[in-house]
Amino acid sequence: MRKVGRRDYRRTTEGELDLLPMMNVFIVLIPMLLTSAVFLKVTVIDTKVPSAAAAEPANEEASLSLAVTIKDDYFVVEGDGIAKQVIARADADADTQLALALANVVSNHPDNRDVMIISEPKTHYKDIIAVMDISRASGLPSASLVGAP
Amino acid sequence: MRHHAKRNRLKPSNSLILTSLMDILTVLVLFLLKSFVIEGEVISPVPGVSLPESSSNTAPQSSIVIAIFNDSVMLNGEVVASVSRSVSSGDLLIAPLADKLDAAREQSAEIARLRGATEEFKGKVSIQGDREIDFAILQRVMYTCSVSGYEQISLAVIGTSS
Repeated sequence: MRKVGRRDYRRTTEGELDLLPMMNVFIVLIPMLLTSAVFLKVTVIDTKVPSAAAAEPANEEASLSLAVTIKDDYFVVEGDGIAKQVIARADADADTQLALALANVVSNHPDNRDVMIISEPKTHYKDIIAVMDISRASGLPSASLVGAP
Repeated sequence: MRHHAKRNRLKPSNSLILTSLMDILTVLVLFLLKSFVIEGEVISPVPGVSLPESSSNTAPQSSIVIAIFNDSVMLNGEVVASVSRSVSSGDLLIAPLADKLDAAREQSAEIARLRGATEEFKGKVSIQGDREIDFAILQRVMYTCSVSGYEQISLAVIGTSS
């Protein structure tokens, strides 16, 4: 009992930290960091537009003109020398199927980096972004957005 | 002596136990420091726009911002055109937006000239589109941008990776 009392006494005299300055620093730091904290990270997807002064497709033979068409209820994957594939969007694994189809194309034509994403006027922006995500994940980083003719 | 005894007696109830509080604060500070962004440009979404989610993790760069949501097309926070009117007119070019883009380009060229900078006009624009907008308006905005010389178009999204 006496020992405990002695230890308590020592702690209050020798070990007592003056925490006030540190608290002040924290109290200033926390609001500052909270206001600058980014909880939603905004990133970007770079796209290219088929420019108005449409550059002549110089290497037309080499180009695959791979296109993914987003229709209301299905995706169409087509291109020169590629078997046309239709994927129903109602399927639960439509995204996986599309990724597979694109991955197939990529493995058959490894030097092709371009894909056209053909959308209809009523296509939702989020669907376009989703298809761009899928094509980028499948190894087609350069997507251009095209309107349905 | 009596005073001393009183102080000693009060001590246990009087001193705050700050250790746990300090632990919390330390963890908070570390967490906030971790989320502190130094590299790249931090762009915050225009209020009212709910950006789509994407796995992209390209850092945004500073540029002029076109926001498309509800029925308005905004350039740098100023409403310049209406979505429904732009879409219903058959023209791909949104004339008021093109005017503002040209004005913005001339302004930035003027500023560059006054500063004596010789940097090229980069033609960067980022489009913050609400996830529910239609391709028709996006196509018109992108077309207008490219006609006005803004050819590096980036679509702002919410990064879900990392």
